[in-house]
Order: sequence, then C-alpha cells, then structure tokens
Amino acid sequence: MTNRSVDLIGADDAQASSAPAVEFREITKHFGAVTACEEVNMTLWRGQIHGVLGENGAGKSTLMKILIGLVMPDRGKILVHGEEQQISDPLDAAALGIGMVHQHFSLIDALTVWENVTLGDSGSLNPEAIRNRIGDIGDQYGLVIDPYALVGELTAGLRQRVEIIKCLRRDPQILIFDEPTAVLTPEESEQLFNSLRNVVTSERRAVALVSHKLDEMLSAADEISIMRQGRIVDHCLASETDAPTLARGIVGREVLLRSEQAALGVARTEQRSLGRDDRRSASALTETSVLRIERAVVRSPDGFRLLDELDLEVKPGEIVGVAGVEGNGQRPLGDLLSSLLALESGRVEVDGKTISSGRPGAMAVAGVGVIPEDRHDSGVVLDMTVAENLILTNPDRFAKRSVIDLKMVGAFAQQMIEEFDIQCDGPFAPMWSLSGGNQQRVVLARELAQKPKVLVAAQPTRGLDVAAIEYMSSRLRLAAEENVAILLISSELEEILDLSDRIVVLQKGQVAGEIARGEADLEHLGLLLGGSAL
Amino acid sequence: MNSFLEATYEILSSSSTYMNAALFAGLLAFAATGEWVAERAGTLNISVEAMLLTGAFTSAVGFHLTDSVVVALFAGAIGGVLVASVQAEMSHRLAADQFVVGLTLNILAFGLTGFLDREIDPTTKLARRWNIPVLNEIPLVGKALFNQPWPFYILYALIPLSWWLVYRTRWGLELRAAGENPQSADVSGIDVNKRRRQTVYYAGFTSGLGGTFLVFVQVGRFDDAIAGGRGFIAIAAVIFGGWTLRGTILGCVVFAAALSSRLSIQGLGYEVNSELLQALPYIVTIAGMAIFAHRVRAPAALARPFVRGLK
Repeated sequence: MTNRSVDLIGADDAQASSAPAVEFREITKHFGAVTACEEVNMTLWRGQIHGVLGENGAGKSTLMKILIGLVMPDRGKILVHGEEQQISDPLDAAALGIGMVHQHFSLIDALTVWENVTLGDSGSLNPEAIRNRIGDIGDQYGLVIDPYALVGELTAGLRQRVEIIKCLRRDPQILIFDEPTAVLTPEESEQLFNSLRNVVTSERRAVALVSHKLDEMLSAADEISIMRQGRIVDHCLASETDAPTLARGIVGREVLLRSEQAALGVARTEQRSLGRDDRRSASALTETSVLRIERAVVRSPDGFRLLDELDLEVKPGEIVGVAGVEGNGQRPLGDLLSSLLALESGRVEVDGKTISSGRPGAMAVAGVGVIPEDRHDSGVVLDMTVAENLILTNPDRFAKRSVIDLKMVGAFAQQMIEEFDIQCDGPFAPMWSLSGGNQQRVVLARELAQKPKVLVAAQPTRGLDVAAIEYMSSRLRLAAEENVAILLISSELEEILDLSDRIVVLQKGQVAGEIARGEADLEHLGLLLGGSAL
Repeated sequence: MNSFLEATYEILSSSSTYMNAALFAGLLAFAATGEWVAERAGTLNISVEAMLLTGAFTSAVGFHLTDSVVVALFAGAIGGVLVASVQAEMSHRLAADQFVVGLTLNILAFGLTGFLDREIDPTTKLARRWNIPVLNEIPLVGKALFNQPWPFYILYALIPLSWWLVYRTRWGLELRAAGENPQSADVSGIDVNKRRRQTVYYAGFTSGLGGTFLVFVQVGRFDDAIAGGRGFIAIAAVIFGGWTLRGTILGCVVFAAALSSRLSIQGLGYEVNSELLQALPYIVTIAGMAIFAHRVRAPAALARPFVRGLK
C-alpha cells in the first residue's frame, strides 16, 4: 500500500526519472523487547515536505535518528540519492547533505548565536565570516536574527530560528525537522512553515517533518505517513485527507473496533467481571471523590507553568485515564502526587483532608500509592535486594526501636513474592537480577501492600512485554474492584481505553477535555490529542 | 585604636607588603589560570594540588641535574602534565569519578615526592632577579610587579594567552560548549571528552609551572609541605571569580593578600597571635566563597561526567 502511493507521487513529479532523495527500505529497529521500527518503507522526494505523523513512541523519532546517524538500524537499507549508504554518526549524515533541526538538543544557552551556529565546524575561527553568513541566510529565508544575542535569552521561536540557520548553513539537500513547533506560538509556527516552504520549493530540497499535530501536517506537508507501534499504517497525500481520517489513523483501527463494541455494549473485554461494573456504576453515583485536585498550579524553577489550574477528581473504585501528548503536565501531575513537587496555589485533597504538597512522604502517609513513571530512576533501588525494595517506603513497620527485623522482612517479602508471582531467586535476590516486568511487580506489590486509598500508575507498562502488560492491567482492575481510586497516567491510548472509566486529556497543564467510558469516541479523542479544540 | 590605624597604615604603605602578596598571587595565578580553563570545559580538577607539588619536585630535580632554571621550568611543566595525564585519562576516557581520582592523586603526590625528596635531596636556589627599568619605580607596587625572579614574568604572557585561547579560538569555543552542555556539543560533532582531557593537560602544564615558581621564585628549596593547600585556594579563586579569568585573577590577589599578611605583619615587628594569622587566609577563603559562590553561574555541566549515548 505504501509503495503504491509513493509511485503515484513519483509519477506525478517532473523529476520522476531521477532517484528519490532518501529511500528507507524495510528498516527495523528494536530496543530490547520494544519495537521502535518494523519493516518501515518510506521515500522522501526533492521539493516535497513529507510529514511523519504518530503518537509518542510510534517510532517516528527513531526513524529520523537512524537517518541522521544517531541510531543504527538492526535491519534494512537506506538509499540516499539512489545509492545505499551506511550512516553511523551525524558527521556521515552531514557529508551526505543531511541536516537535522533538533527539538532542543543542539543549542548551548551560554554561547551567543554566532558561536552556536559555528559549533561543529572545523578550521580557524572567523567570527566575521560566520556573522556574514548568518546575515545572508537571514535575508534569503526571512530568518533575521542578532548574531551577538545570547541564545539563553532568546524566545523559543528565535531559538528555533538559530537551529534552522545552524542546519541550513551547511546547505543540506535533505532536512529533518523533529517536532519543530512543539515550543512555538501559532504565529511563530506559521512563520516557520512559510520559510520552510521557501526552502523546499525554490531550492528543491527534501524535507521530513515529524509532528503529532494534525492541523500543521495538513497545511504544511505534501504527503503524510502515519506511524503506529513502529509501522507505517497509512500513507496519503495531504490534499486528499482530513483531520478526522488522520486522527483515526494515529489511534488505530483495531482499538476503534474494540471500543465501538464496548460502546454498543456488544462485547466486554474478557477480563472484566460484570458484577464490578454494576457495583461500580452504583458507587460512582453515591460516593464522593477520594482524590480531589482543585485549581492546582505548579511552576518549574524557570517560571513555566507545568500545571495550570488543573482540576481532577477520582472516586473510589474508579479508574481515571490521563491521556495527552507527552510534556503537557502528566509528569508534574505524577510528581505532585508523589510529594516531589509543591503547589504554588490550589490544593490536593485525599479523603476530604487537604494534604500539604511537596513535603516528603506527605502524600504517601495520606494514602496515595505511586507506581512511578521511571522505574529505575525513582521506582526501585537496583543494588538493593527484593525484600529491601519491598519495604522501602515504610521500613518502620518492620523495625523494633529502629532496628530492622530481618525475619519479619523475609516473611513479608516471601508472602509478596507468592501473592504477586514475582519471579526471583528468593527475597534476598538483588533487584537488578529481575526482569523489567518482575521489577514492576515488586513496585506494584509494595504500593498495594500499603492499602492505598489512591493509586497513581504513571506509565505502568512502559517497556514491558505483552504478558507483563496483561498482568499489570488485571492487577489494576482488581485494585479498582477493591475500591482503590486509580489515576492512570499513560501515553498508551490502548491501555487508557482498555482500563479507564473516564478519560481526561491534558493539554498545557490543564484538562482540555473529558470523555466518559462508553462514549469514548476515538475520532474525538484523536482530535483532542492532535491539539484541535473541542 | 589609634595605634591600630597607624599600624595598618604602615603595613599598607610598606612595599614589602606588596612584594609578599605578589609572590603568593603569582603562585595562585599559575595554578588558577589552568584550573579555570579546565573548569570551563567541565572538570572540577582537584588534583591541581598534586600538580603543583609534583611540578615543584620535578623542577627541583631538573635543576639538581643540570643547574639550569630553564630546564627546571620544563621539568616542572612535565611533572604537572604527568599528574594531569592520570587525571584526564582516568576521568575522561575511563569515566572514573573525577573527585576520587583527584583525591587519590593528591595523597599519592604527597607521599611520593616526600619519599623521593629524601632519596634524591635536590639542591636548588632562587632564580635570578630581573629588574625592569622605569616600571619598577611605580610607587608601592613597582618592585612587587617588576623586580622579581624572572619566571614571574611568564604570567604576563600566560594569562592573556589563556584568555585568547578560551575566547578567541575554535578550541576555546568547543571547550566552553563541552562545559556548558556536553550533549548539545556532541550532537554538533564535538569530541567532548577529548576537549576535557586537553584542558586538564593545560591545567597540568600551568600548575607544573606554578610548582617551579614555588621553588625558584618563592621559597628557594623543595620540601613536601611546599604546596600546603595552595592548590585548593586556587580552585576557590576560580569560584570566587565567577568562572571569568578577570575574576579569577582578582581572587588570586585577594587570597594572596590574606596568605601574605602573616609575613607582612610580623616582618614589620607587630605582634599578632600567629596561629590566628595562619588561619586568616582560609577564613577569608570561606568568607569569600560564602558571599560569592551562590551569586555566580558555574559552567552548567561542571563536574558532571559525559558518557556518549542518546539524550
């Protein structure tokens, strides 16, 4: 299907006889058990903007990193101007005329614009020549900038401009833009696409534009490839498609079918027990929320609003899914409920009591359990034993006058290992000897053993294999049946759709929309995720 | 109170006060200039103490063998670079913790030079004094700055040279990038750890010269207590100076004034508790750090190791 539409465009092009700028052939890349790219075929033509659309983790960034030489593919070929090439680092890519405008990894705040632009060149330093070149590029593409300005003091739009100048200065024939508008205002984005169009049409360069925003894809790209779970699932001309179609493509047809069935009440997912749904709908009506977040404002050290008057409630036994494009407040929300961040204003109530935010352990004492987003960073201590990890959040329970009772710990750990079926070499096996799925079970066991009122599960299945994902899902359902209020923060839409009673979509630290289960209209959800207003 | 003011006036108007201070400032400036370059590239190089001490010892041996201060100077630089090679390769090639390596080197250099000093027992002397005409007649500071043993004058080239290297060459641009944001520097195609190694070598070179200065300009002979923590004061001077070269040199002068006060005060026959005076430079250092350390912005990646990889 992919090849067909590519041929179509090729035939359409006056230069059809010449080779495409870039051709990916069956590119495959796995990171451990996770598939980043699977048999990806894609073609970039000169004079065209090729949009690559997909959710976080769909594989689009990995594909681009393969082209720029930051990641090596497991299998597959890359052809540049018709010839097969090995691209093993960014310098190889630069030699082939491939340049990338990075989202935020290539500029240095403490240096001036011209210093940043010349970084990575060789030969003696000639500031005058560099500043002249910056002026020339500015005139040519309408990217005017003060070469003496300190990059750290520029706005996001101007920083982006510096990135583009840095890239264009080497006159690349193939340009990659990775989420170029993620940090830009709408006006800045429009400016960017105007100059981009100029670069492409008048100079016949090839551009790959990576984004998750539907609107800008439709307006800026010539053709669009949609990636999901490492595969290209659809490919179309921008002029022949519309936002709802793209939204469906991003979210995926299988999911659509499943939830349509759910919506019609035809079939429930097998694991769900009917009794629970009955009981739950009753309790949802009667019980008051156990977790209540009101007008929560959290600011980053540099003054940026991470959460912006966020309101959220979770009732006992309810699973609320938090969806949204990454970086829209999911992580701060998790950190707030882990007592890692303090509120600037607003409040967090658990069971009717206001909890002082940011005081270490306050949320845990109030009955909020957390499965943290990054297992290794804040979930477990790899160099400690399974038993030690299991008691880490509440060692007092196992201590007499501050001396830990090893027998008690061992017995408790053994009980947890059996209850949660943790595959390990006994309670005193080192944590690092466990697989990722089993490490996650340890976290889950520890948090559930505390009998939490609220359980925050942040990306609970990230990096796990299918069986481990299944287990995690069934455990979360079980916890909900036991009347725990569950806040599921996940970038996996399928997971959210599968588990949640209610779905809220975060955007810029606010709840941008809410969808009840049963009416989870995927097109609607896809549009919300893509940044279109309700 | 009146007598206190009189004494202060006498101390401040005596050219020997400035002479003493200039010697200490010169030593600190050699070490701090190289340290500043290394810190701009992201290494908080605590082995500068070992570099000073080793440089002092190897220069003494160099002179002992050849009777030439020029050879001693080269030998001192080589000694400093020798220590730097261990620091640089261990921490920026093998990714060993830079503080553990530095601490080990400081202890090792102390033990090794002490042992070899007794074995070899090098004989040394002060270098010949060069009197720069006209300039040495500037009131108060003329003699301190322009009537010194000749290795002192190397500073007048070394400091501007270091500034030029860091701010006016591609090498300097790249090392600053490595100290601020190694990931971005890497994405731009710069070998971050290579730049960092090179700057540690540079610090070894200047500190080795500093060790030579210690023996042939300041003291006249080697002993294993000769560095006496001056390397750490040089690090404090870089922080005090807010990671600018100007500020670093100013820091050297301020700390040197404190270090030399004991000599100056007692030299003029005043009685002040000598233990207290000995503690003074360190009190000034701590006070200086307390006041200035949080006001200035350090290189963002200072003391953070860089390992290549995504993100």
